[in-house]
Amino acid sequence: MAIVGTRMTRVEDHRLLTGAATYVDNLRLPELAGAAFVTFVRSPIAHARITHIDTAQARAARGVVAVYTAADIDVPPMGTPPMLTNGAAMARPCLAKDVVRFAGEAVAVVVAEDRAAAADAAGLVDVEYDPLPAVVSVEDALAGRTLLFPEAGTNLAHEAGELSAADPFADCEVVVTREITNQRLAPVPMETRAAACVPDGEGGLVLWLSTQCPHAVRDDMTRQLGLLPGQLRVIAPDVGGGFGGKIPSEVDYTVLCWIVRQLGRPVRWMETRSETMLTMNHGRGQRQRVTIGGRRDGTVSAYRLDILADAGAYPHTAWLPSATVWMATGAYGIPRVEARARCVVTNTTPMGAYRGAGRPEAIAAIERAIDLFAAEIGMDPADVRRRNLLRPEAFPYQTPTGMEYDSGDYPAALEQVLAAADYPGLRAEQARRRAAGDHRQLGIGLSCYVEVTGLGGEEHGKITMDADGAVTAYVGTTPQGQGHATTLSMIIADRLGVPPEQVSVRHTDTGSLDQGGGTFGSRSLQLGGSVVHEATQRLCDDALPLAAAALEADERDVVLDRESGRWRAAGDPAREISWAELVRRSRPGGSFSVEVKYALPKLTFSYGTHLALVEVDTETGQVKLVRFIGVDDAGRLINPLLAEGQRHGGIAQGIAQALYEEMRYDEDGNPVTATLADYTVPSAADLPGFELLTRETPTPHNPLGAKGIGEAGTIGAAPAVQNAVIDAVSHLGVRHIDMPLTPERVWQAIKEATS
Amino acid sequence: MSTVDFLAPRTWEEALAAKAERRDALPIAGGTDVMVELNFDRRRPAALLDLTRIGELAEWGSDGSVLRIGAGVSYRRLIEELGGRLPGLAMAARTVGSAQIRNRGTVGGNLGSASPAGDAHPPLLAAAATVQVASVRGTRRVPVAEFFTGPKRSVLAPDELIEAILVPPAAGPQQFAKVGTRNAMVIAVCSFAISLDRERQAVGTGIGSAAPTPVRALAAEQLLAAARWDRPLPEPTVEKFGELVAAAASPIDDVRATAAYRRRALAVLARRTLRWAWEELR
Repeated sequence: MAIVGTRMTRVEDHRLLTGAATYVDNLRLPELAGAAFVTFVRSPIAHARITHIDTAQARAARGVVAVYTAADIDVPPMGTPPMLTNGAAMARPCLAKDVVRFAGEAVAVVVAEDRAAAADAAGLVDVEYDPLPAVVSVEDALAGRTLLFPEAGTNLAHEAGELSAADPFADCEVVVTREITNQRLAPVPMETRAAACVPDGEGGLVLWLSTQCPHAVRDDMTRQLGLLPGQLRVIAPDVGGGFGGKIPSEVDYTVLCWIVRQLGRPVRWMETRSETMLTMNHGRGQRQRVTIGGRRDGTVSAYRLDILADAGAYPHTAWLPSATVWMATGAYGIPRVEARARCVVTNTTPMGAYRGAGRPEAIAAIERAIDLFAAEIGMDPADVRRRNLLRPEAFPYQTPTGMEYDSGDYPAALEQVLAAADYPGLRAEQARRRAAGDHRQLGIGLSCYVEVTGLGGEEHGKITMDADGAVTAYVGTTPQGQGHATTLSMIIADRLGVPPEQVSVRHTDTGSLDQGGGTFGSRSLQLGGSVVHEATQRLCDDALPLAAAALEADERDVVLDRESGRWRAAGDPAREISWAELVRRSRPGGSFSVEVKYALPKLTFSYGTHLALVEVDTETGQVKLVRFIGVDDAGRLINPLLAEGQRHGGIAQGIAQALYEEMRYDEDGNPVTATLADYTVPSAADLPGFELLTRETPTPHNPLGAKGIGEAGTIGAAPAVQNAVIDAVSHLGVRHIDMPLTPERVWQAIKEATS
Repeated sequence: MSTVDFLAPRTWEEALAAKAERRDALPIAGGTDVMVELNFDRRRPAALLDLTRIGELAEWGSDGSVLRIGAGVSYRRLIEELGGRLPGLAMAARTVGSAQIRNRGTVGGNLGSASPAGDAHPPLLAAAATVQVASVRGTRRVPVAEFFTGPKRSVLAPDELIEAILVPPAAGPQQFAKVGTRNAMVIAVCSFAISLDRERQAVGTGIGSAAPTPVRALAAEQLLAAARWDRPLPEPTVEKFGELVAAAASPIDDVRATAAYRRRALAVLARRTLRWAWEELR
């Protein structure tokens, strides 16, 4: 019986839930015995010249092994990717050299016998700063009065897309324009950044790292440290969440490796939550200007999105707003769409990927624009969507912003959600409360999203089958809680006809698989899953002649019975051989092994519709999320249970952006919401149960028919909730409120609209 | 290298002696405030005085006409064991932190921290509670309204510890409401408590997170005390009550909200809790 498509429970859970998981800081390996502890000394100032660093007192303190500054570390800075328009002069030194560019940037590093001694000594490093004007807003950065990198001559790190000279709105009956802020967020995984590093005894290093991309980190560190290929092995043990924040190669890792080479002894490093809030990349952070135009009958004919994005202090991911440009079109068939992003450096924590990474910003913009347009022409937002959504016959659809959407039925997803919600009933209840002047007004918000998935289109893997029939798969994708071992073992089990318990999945060790892409951009099931699918096919292809020989039959008559996992000769049920017997017979003392590389021929596009129902207290501005209904179509589901888990967590983080979270800075570049008391991550108490509906439209672009599901919830949920809150008070004249929709912001919007 | 002495008295007498000897010792009960301060390096006490081993601190009982609540009684026990007699305090306690925080945190600790955002303070003010403090020099009783002297400051002398809170059982409806930026585990943007004494036609109020200390709204209390209690309140009185409560606050702008919003939200909370309480009178 096929296992794919069933709700098999996660093979990882027993270990994770009983505290048996091994995160970096739990590693108790003999080679880590006697490890020193590393703590960074971080700048409390956003922008300053470093005039003097005195490490004498720290070096003399109890238990201190060494203290280093930029002057000691002879490693070149981390260069920006070549695709940036102006990145060449914006490299990041391993430790701040001469200038600090954000509060939290490391200026020195302390190595001590234990964690407490390192923390104490870090406080004894005396750094003198001469403050420089801080560039905090993207507008100030673009104006360029103060430059973060004077040699670059600009704060503009990257530019993507372009706006036409012609007016795309010339023939529109109605045009609406609005400034929108997609606020800066922090990823906040449960496990902070952490690593352990040891000399391997042969001149190389082993780095255990809480990362989403061990292979990329290995390659970047090898290059930066001037190591030979093979001299650095990176292993990600259990990783307690990442959400994008553990994708990048970081200068802190380089420093750790450098220290181990310097001292020849193992080291450990684990940040405090306070540090991680400032050092792990933040995400989003776009000022958007949306313009939407069309006819009074609800037809949208033109849309423009102009983005000014924040790259933070070092623009290593300043290309991310390109993803916003690509996805600007959203789920609609709008004839004229144009988008541009300019990304500038500021004296704030460097930006990077955060669940959705450029795509939520695109959907937030167009979903707000659709509602603004609907309000302007006095049409129900559901009807405007009905009129403009791409129809199933449009696929494959070439968007004006350069994407090719693969498959789906966008209008059906909308109708499915509207029916489940009893949309007319909700509108009637809303009308009743408006007429009664109830202080608890009802708001209904819709979001029809589409997201590009399967980024980083190539992946590697290897499968071996032993003489006892045990299957081991090595894959270049690497989990942070998603359940890869479960889903991949299901695919392999079905393809080879072995029970899933007989399959073990290994990932995240560059020592056991030389190449790998990692996990980000909703890619792992499509890429990692297709890799193992491909590998099982190759394994079967390789085994076929061997099975035919063993069964003394023609290859054309031999098949693998995927129910029993036995090779059979057609027409003679007695002639059969198990995988284990075949291995023993064909490879005495050995095993079967295949290694494959899989490239996704084209990107895939998940989509769906989310509906949020909120109650807004018009006297205090407090928002209560009452219901959340969503349909997400991510192609064929390998395990619906795990897909629901991804949707659930994604929706929670989307709601978090809409209502609760914002990383804020004061005008001097001091972070003001950098603790979990002020950066309000929601808990279960803040969220209702989610009503999750399903659709499955397979993609033609991979053998599984699967698309990505990891970021869908986040992308769809935030605009649905934002639109719902604004809808609740739209009769009072409110047209827009920026996220997060705190009680004060909502109250302020009502006050301004009604006064 | 800094070290912290950890003092762990087993009896109340030992605790008072320890505090007399080590005035720089920071008392710790549930640790839900103290550990946050230590974690952020806002305080570096030379010593911690652990009060969790003293059994009698975690007891409550009647003391004449009032309830005597040991300083170490947790929020969870307040809700479960005293919710019927002190509904206002129980309502506030339910909004404290998470279940884990309510298991650890104590009213005595909340008072000791003297944060203007302490959730228990408004209902204690509204109920005219008294704080019993003690030292080797003896004990004294301080009305809650006089206990706080500034943000995170109180009348406690360096050798004194909070022993108990004395609260009259509710003599009428009590209500509590709070505005926060999320539902649970949130520091209040502002909060308000009201307590009505049916027999004496007396009113108590308490405002949280909207002044340097938790405060009462005296003018608002007087307005209600002078009203007719045997009929529905006229709407202008309700409105006026809200205005007087807002006027009693002296809020600031901070990362959670502006002063203007706090005043506005307080007026709304005051009117609502008053309507609910008045409804219960009838």
